[in-house]
Amino acid sequence: MARQTGILYFTISLILVTVALFFGFECRLTLVTHLPYGYFIPIACGLLFLFNMGCLLRTAWSDPGIIPRSTPEEAAYLERCLQDQQARDENTREYRPPPRTLDITINGTPMKLKYCFTCKIFRPPRASHCSMCDNCVENFDHHCPWVGNCVGRRNYRYFFLFVTSLTLLCLFIFSFSVTHIILLSGLQGGFLEALKISPGRYPFMLICFFSIWSVIG
Amino acid sequence: MQSADELQVRKRIFLQRDFSNGMAVRFQTRFPSELDGRVNPEEFSQTISVLNEKYRQAEEISFSTYCEGCLACLTGYLLLLCINTHYKKVLKEISKYIEDQNNTIYWPKRILIKDPFESGLRSIEIVIFDEN
Repeated sequence: MARQTGILYFTISLILVTVALFFGFECRLTLVTHLPYGYFIPIACGLLFLFNMGCLLRTAWSDPGIIPRSTPEEAAYLERCLQDQQARDENTREYRPPPRTLDITINGTPMKLKYCFTCKIFRPPRASHCSMCDNCVENFDHHCPWVGNCVGRRNYRYFFLFVTSLTLLCLFIFSFSVTHIILLSGLQGGFLEALKISPGRYPFMLICFFSIWSVIG
Repeated sequence: MQSADELQVRKRIFLQRDFSNGMAVRFQTRFPSELDGRVNPEEFSQTISVLNEKYRQAEEISFSTYCEGCLACLTGYLLLLCINTHYKKVLKEISKYIEDQNNTIYWPKRILIKDPFESGLRSIEIVIFDEN
């Protein structure tokens, strides 16, 4: 888990409150009694919510593929090897600081490995140093503040599942809220009448609506 | 037999990763000059080749690893609390192999090979002790 985890708790509470409101208003009041097989809706929502929470916590609390810093001995050994290599290449015996890149060939293609001055290692390709977490991460994608952790090789699948299930959850809640309003307006004779009856659901519907756009994107 | 704590460390060598065939876990099999005279080059390259092969096996995709992944996802990853994945099992095998090699070949010559897992699979640390 990274530092500055406040936003993670905000994310958790946002999802929790939205789903709780959905359960409280939609399921309890109308959908369960009105529609045939209406009891599937809270069950499906509950399962989706649990899966989403599981993925979120797994993303936040698992290792994204942090590359441990090198021990002082390893850093000294790398420097010595490179000095020897340079001395062989250029026939000089002066001290030079370790170069910033190392040329290697991967499957025939020449590539440069960058040197990380904080971790004192040559980073593998696609690894990057995260300044928030202060370590190098393999296959670094980005540092997600909502999750409070980096997204890298080892937790990419949990992050992807979290985003996908969150999208589905948002769509699910939003579509059933809209269905509910339509049903109510049918019963109560008018859209505005229906809106007047249950004012509590608007905040969370709006949250859902806006989250859908930001999350799907 | 003397334990590792009682001896002086003469040198530490770090075998780096070999990226020439892609990003898979593979270590360089070049024989370090510091081990010249202490260790048989064929035995050493055999150890490293076997390690490379085991790491390749660990990441191999088969029907069982596919099932493991699917079942784990469907149970919300609770399955991983109950069983060890194929990768973890092979890592345990690798640990045991390194220990065996140390006990039979390298420690009698006062050399220790450390499990690369401790360095995040970045390098294999070989510790050479003073022979006393």
